[in-house]
Amino acid sequence: MSVANALLEEPRLDTFPRLLLHHARVRGERPATREKDLGIWQTWTWSQQAEEVRALACGLAELGFKRGDHLAIIGDNRPRLYWAMAAAQALGGVPVPLYQDAVAAEMAFVLQDAEIRFAIVEDQEQVDKMLEVMGQCPALSHILYDDTRGLRHYIQTELQSLDEVMEMGRIHDRERPEFLDGEIARGEPGDISVMLYTSGTTGRPKGVCQTHFSFITAAKSGCEFDHLGPQDSILSYLPMAWVGDHLFSYAQATVAGFTINCPESGDTVITDLREIGPTYYFAPPRVFENLLTTVMIRMEDASAVKRGMFEYFMAVARRCGAEILDGKPGVSAIDRLLYGLGNILIYGPLRNVLGMSRIRVAYTAGAAIGPDLFRFYRSIGINLKQLYGSTETCAAVCLQPDGEIKFDSVGKPAPGVEVKIAGNGEVLVRGQMLLREYYKLPADTAEAIDSEGYFHTGDAGFFDEDGHLKIIDRAKDVGKTESGALFAPNYIENKLKFFSFIKEAVAFGQGRPMVCAFINIDMGAVGNWAERRNISYSGYTDLAQKPEVYELIRGCIEKANAELAEDPVLSGSQVHRFLILHKELDPDDDELTRTRKVRRGFVAEKYAVLIAALYSGKASQFIETQVKFEDGRSGMVSAELLIMDARIFPAQKKAA
Amino acid sequence: MQFFFEVLIAGLLSGVMYSLVALGYVLIYKASGVFNFAQGAMVFFAALTAVGLHDLGLSLWLSVPLTMVAMIVLGLATERIVLRPLVAQAEITLFMATIGLTFFIEGLAQAIWGASVRGLELGIADVPLEWLLDVVGMAISQFDLIAAGIAAALVAALAIFFSKTKIGRALRAVADDHQAALSVGIPLHHIWGVVWAVAGFVALVAGLLWGARNGVQFALTFVALKALPVLILGGFTSVPGAIVGGLIIGASEKLAEVYVPSLLQRLFDTQMNLGGIEGWFPYVLALLFLLVRPEGLFGERIIRRI
Amino acid sequence: MDKRIGEVILSFQNISLSFGGVKALTSIGFDVREHEIRAIIGPNGAGKSSMLNVINGVYHPQEGEIVFRGKTRRNMNTYESAKSGIARTFQNIALFKGMSVLDNIMTGRNLKMRSNFLLDAIYWGPAQREEIAHRKKVEEVIDFLEIQHIRKTPVGRLPYGLQKRVELGRALAAEPSILLLDEPMAGMNVEEKQDMCRFILDVNDQLGTTIVLIEHDMGVVMDISDRVVVLDYGKKIADGTPDEVRANQDVIDAYLGVAH
Repeated sequence: MSVANALLEEPRLDTFPRLLLHHARVRGERPATREKDLGIWQTWTWSQQAEEVRALACGLAELGFKRGDHLAIIGDNRPRLYWAMAAAQALGGVPVPLYQDAVAAEMAFVLQDAEIRFAIVEDQEQVDKMLEVMGQCPALSHILYDDTRGLRHYIQTELQSLDEVMEMGRIHDRERPEFLDGEIARGEPGDISVMLYTSGTTGRPKGVCQTHFSFITAAKSGCEFDHLGPQDSILSYLPMAWVGDHLFSYAQATVAGFTINCPESGDTVITDLREIGPTYYFAPPRVFENLLTTVMIRMEDASAVKRGMFEYFMAVARRCGAEILDGKPGVSAIDRLLYGLGNILIYGPLRNVLGMSRIRVAYTAGAAIGPDLFRFYRSIGINLKQLYGSTETCAAVCLQPDGEIKFDSVGKPAPGVEVKIAGNGEVLVRGQMLLREYYKLPADTAEAIDSEGYFHTGDAGFFDEDGHLKIIDRAKDVGKTESGALFAPNYIENKLKFFSFIKEAVAFGQGRPMVCAFINIDMGAVGNWAERRNISYSGYTDLAQKPEVYELIRGCIEKANAELAEDPVLSGSQVHRFLILHKELDPDDDELTRTRKVRRGFVAEKYAVLIAALYSGKASQFIETQVKFEDGRSGMVSAELLIMDARIFPAQKKAA
Repeated sequence: MQFFFEVLIAGLLSGVMYSLVALGYVLIYKASGVFNFAQGAMVFFAALTAVGLHDLGLSLWLSVPLTMVAMIVLGLATERIVLRPLVAQAEITLFMATIGLTFFIEGLAQAIWGASVRGLELGIADVPLEWLLDVVGMAISQFDLIAAGIAAALVAALAIFFSKTKIGRALRAVADDHQAALSVGIPLHHIWGVVWAVAGFVALVAGLLWGARNGVQFALTFVALKALPVLILGGFTSVPGAIVGGLIIGASEKLAEVYVPSLLQRLFDTQMNLGGIEGWFPYVLALLFLLVRPEGLFGERIIRRI
Repeated sequence: MDKRIGEVILSFQNISLSFGGVKALTSIGFDVREHEIRAIIGPNGAGKSSMLNVINGVYHPQEGEIVFRGKTRRNMNTYESAKSGIARTFQNIALFKGMSVLDNIMTGRNLKMRSNFLLDAIYWGPAQREEIAHRKKVEEVIDFLEIQHIRKTPVGRLPYGLQKRVELGRALAAEPSILLLDEPMAGMNVEEKQDMCRFILDVNDQLGTTIVLIEHDMGVVMDISDRVVVLDYGKKIADGTPDEVRANQDVIDAYLGVAH
């Protein structure tokens, strides 16, 4: 420790690098980061981590990285990539994480927009993308890579391995230790700490500039809200470019001093989850959905006794599990006893299989979660909660307090956050966690933040009688059908997607006589179902067009229709006709965003011929589509798609 | 109820010893696909050799290791002389060879040691454990308990051997696919030799325990036949199957012996003597089981892929 | 790209092989240089597999001479060939289906294990240390082939493409000096083929392993091989760089003439 630091009685913990040094001081020997490598979990303590960050920062400085520079960070969740964020911040620069599975052309836009000179990337795959776009990004002059594999013969002068850079940095730090301390001391809480690009559901991605102050405030309030401390740990497996991962794995971890765990690879997440047993967990609804689907598939394969037990105790859990978790009164002694038994026989082992035995708090966000799905996890004793936020708000607008869980709300405004509903139903937010600006887009910034300082979220919602915020849909998506009935496409799609057989759904109905839908079947669940019935198939396209599968999906849609019919406002949203798409919607084909949200407009345009067929009453329609393979090559997929009608239920009047 | 548990526990304990015999079959079947009919004869041979050496005046500490050497030699010799020349022959041919081997081993044993029944004293008394009798009032044989403990230790040791060691892994590889094993440089005959030697060793332990309990006599080979229903229950290829199967057979035959006669007498209202159920009950159980689950409790299910 | 192709490591002169009067190979001669990717291609029934089996010691040619590392090689069996540093994969995957991926790859280390039988039997001392050292090597192979997620999965449950990768892993675990690949891309879809190509190139590039592969499909092989031998009806009809072979009239005829 330098003298300067020791003299500071009350170190200012208002930037991320200063927080890092603080943890290295007060809990130097506690684990900060773990990563599974060659089958073994490697650990870095806070003091080791601080050393690594120092080396990285000094190395970057040696290469000419300066205050205000932007550092692109691209790759899976690797310790060094997280450290790169801290290193950039230590030098007064701004890390810009990019979605690692984006294709080169998509990256080029961000690299140009953010005037990236330095990029730290994970491996050969990302290096190749960088080299591909270098022509379009003249500023890009340093590409540093973590994993050297396959890169030995690359001769481009822009390339350098992180090992080299860090070695350089270590020498630099030994010779001038005061340099980095000085840089860190110069940092101000109002400096931009990170630039996260919106996924661009509509139009081009925008760079959201957040300050140290806003992210630390958001992280602090979240940590206090859920009592997170140094003893907690989290599995960091979601894209680093996503605001959720930045909040949980970087901001909160650095504020509270808890441990982050990087999985071995994207495919091993479930195993790693089981081995680490984190206490704090975050996943978008689709991950919870996939986990549940795997459980259900395994249960279908289990013996009759096991299945019977599972079904019996899941019924018990549905009846009283969530209430017991919330500590609500009114659960009978018998139910408590049965639940206790179920906990030993079913829920405990199930939580273990899911890697959630030690979870204290789990959050989901990013999209609406099906109420049944949500209830499932809570009922088996996992404290799953919802939160609401966006890139522009550090993902921290509303949180569900413990014990006040509602399946269809996103909770109450977080401490220090003001939320109000505009006349058109749009949710408006004000608070310290708001973005400073959209990078180089003053007009957009002015449009998003009004004169009173409220940020327009673009979501439609309302407060219920308990002060919980409910989000229905994107404000611009909520529309009306031709007959004037309310049409909330996301709401319908989420309802359909809760069926394990349905992976994606796209509903149409705005200004139309009725609601129709495209369906993507879940290959795992439907494939298993088909095998069980001796239905042979050659691949997705073939399976999707089996009449039996259509009947299966129709059953699901009619169930959803029956539920929609119960709600007088939404009964007009029942799905009249549907078809199963011949290919899976794919981010590579621009049909989904990188966070796997449907690009409604794009899909509608691309498959206009199918929509026309749905509304024209045809029984089938031929379609040919271009698809992109992972290597960037493309091919054609074609099929004659069936179109089927679903039963519509009469709207029910509310009793009383 | 007390009595019921006494019978159950006695049954489970003798079941462990059935498992031990069944294990010998499973080992060889798994590794080489041979159903070694001679396993019973090996048990007999082992017990007779040990007791014979002991009767010659050698202490147990000497005669048992010597027998062990003899069993390993017998195992290795069988692999080398009988089975290796028959590699790639039909399964039935190999099976017939082991039947021949059975008679040879039985004959050899009796030629060396004579045909008379001998007692084997391991120094463990077959008396009820007193403190158990005092505390819970149940009569559990001390011998059965120790024998079961030895058997359990052996099974555990084998399990570790198979899952952890290089030879164990090579053995599983050989059991899975001979040709593939050869191509990665696993010496097939070496492994088969090891298996036969281990099977010989298992036979020795089984022979000593059964011999001490029932006397060393030709009837030991019939005890080995009891391993058949155990195998049908547990599956021919599964070590855990052999253990669980043994426990089920042991417990069920003892319970049947005690409860079935009175049940039948009441049912048919006779005073007929219905003893000896123990002798055939396991086979009936196995037969019923075959109808329900032919691959056994833990046997390898054929994985279907479409 | 810097390729450090070295001296001839393995050469064949006048190899002839017949089964009961049916000629499988007739006077085949070619050589393999250290660190190169050498492909043997040809239509179905051209004798490719026979050639691989000769290298591997499964078949013993009636005529001809094999020189391995400067020495004339006597007839050796599969086991001895494995011991001499030649590992291979099979056209119809020969993995241990009931064992996990990890155990399968561990068997590839079998020849490298030295510890004594008795110590091994009780899993003690040096045997345990040795096991751990080997496990580390195997983990490197697993990392290399990006199959961490299936480490504990029984091989029989894996899809075909992954099984092929595991089999490559088992061969790599032996740290062979020559790796024989028997139609590594057969039955794969485009994406799996690309993955496999990448792995073959990586093995060759990063580990310096000499690779001899046979393939039926010309396209892929031409992109990754340094030199190609073309067989047709048991005879060598061409030998050279991919470009030379592609331009060779006999090769064009053989491929166009034989429907498959």
